Amino acid sequence: MYKKKYRLKDFVILVLTFFLFIGTWQLVDFLFNIRKIILPNPLEIFLVIVNNFPYLLDHATITVIESSLGFLLGITLAIITGIIFTYSKLLKKSFYPYAIAFKAVPVIALAPLLIMWLGSGMISKIIMAAIICYFPVLVGTVKGFSVVIQDYKDLFKSFSASKWKIFYKLKIPTSLPYIFPSLKISATFAVVGATIAEFTGASKGIGYIIVNSSYYLETTMMFAAIIMISIVGLLLFYLIDYIEKKIVFWEAND
Amino acid sequence: MIRISNIEKTYYGKNESVCALKDISLDIKKSEFVSFIGPSGCGKTTLLKICAGLLDPTEGKIDFDYPNYKIGIVFQNHVLLPWRTVKQNVALSTELSNTNNNIEEMIKLVGLEDFIGSYPFELSGGMKQRVSIARALVSHPSILFMDEPFGSIDELMRDNLNMDLLKIWRKLKPTIFFVTHSISEAVLLSDKIVILPKRPGKIKKILEINLPRPRTISIKETQKFQEYIKCIRKNID
Repeated sequence: MYKKKYRLKDFVILVLTFFLFIGTWQLVDFLFNIRKIILPNPLEIFLVIVNNFPYLLDHATITVIESSLGFLLGITLAIITGIIFTYSKLLKKSFYPYAIAFKAVPVIALAPLLIMWLGSGMISKIIMAAIICYFPVLVGTVKGFSVVIQDYKDLFKSFSASKWKIFYKLKIPTSLPYIFPSLKISATFAVVGATIAEFTGASKGIGYIIVNSSYYLETTMMFAAIIMISIVGLLLFYLIDYIEKKIVFWEAND
Repeated sequence: MIRISNIEKTYYGKNESVCALKDISLDIKKSEFVSFIGPSGCGKTTLLKICAGLLDPTEGKIDFDYPNYKIGIVFQNHVLLPWRTVKQNVALSTELSNTNNNIEEMIKLVGLEDFIGSYPFELSGGMKQRVSIARALVSHPSILFMDEPFGSIDELMRDNLNMDLLKIWRKLKPTIFFVTHSISEAVLLSDKIVILPKRPGKIKKILEINLPRPRTISIKETQKFQEYIKCIRKNID
């Protein structure tokens, strides 16, 4: 009961700071009369979002589809390779260091290449999002599958458990608390990846709107698009967060 | 019967090798309650793991006189799977060996019938250890290995757990291989106490405990109990 009250208070504080920020912005704009092309005020941005909502939503949907498919592709490959690495020391020794090194490469620099190879359709964006999602989840998976504690192994051994049963009754659940945080990182990265690829060459998507509006100096529309894409990123993050709390329920309670 | 003959365990490091156990020979009778006591690092856990088949000895062998014997292990840490309820945790061994045993009866035996659907994070330390005892016993093992099972549990709760363990042992009659560093716990529970001093992990003394059974907590106040304790303390240093 007390906890619930406390949470409500926290929420109220968050909402207040939000309105304080928006209010200050609006006030500064009013007092100094900043040009709309440099910095539009919150009310103007809000009106642009409302008036162009179907248009923004259409493009946001494209970005959401690209990011989600890229995310699913990237994490699937990452989890599979992560598991292979934990079962083959040789493969891990030969490839994992490269994977770690590749993580340091600014993958964003690959966007023009991908557009050149795969065209300006959705595929290049999906692949970009997949590449950017791959590495955090690979590291999380390798970590998650290597933490199994000796006592647990001994316990399963004492029941003469098969390797397969150890894998899905012990190793998979043990790895989940390590994989989920990397999924949350990747969920937001996926949106970044798709948007960057849209900057480089696209005729659809939120990234396209941002670049296109910049050509026409439509700053207000750029802000509207940025807000839309931030909402998409947040929604994906909280979706994974929600799934994590449902699946890895024991971590939050420990 | 379990016959342990000339067990030796040496750990080979880069520069030096450490001898954890040397010349360990011992017979354990069927349904006997045997405790192994000694300071930390005396090799008692290593011996338990060798007997349970989790470690290979450097020398020596162990013969089991049971046809198709099963074992159960209770660790110092409860080692429960946090994503499983009490019932699902106890059911683990039956799932792994595709047998069918009465899980609920075993949970009742350790006194947790009201917590059958609870998760480990909802239980106290003593309750978690009860679950892990039920899990070890559900397949009716011939030998139950217990590695300082009540080491992290406070004194009062420990007495309760010890009494309940004796009750369960009387009912199911497994052979119990019990590792502890509590002298009074060892005397309270055991038929036989094996004293292992520090390095090089040789048996110093095997003490038969001739206290009447069934035992209760009040046995701790008897003079004979105190004499056993004195005797062990003298041999352990």
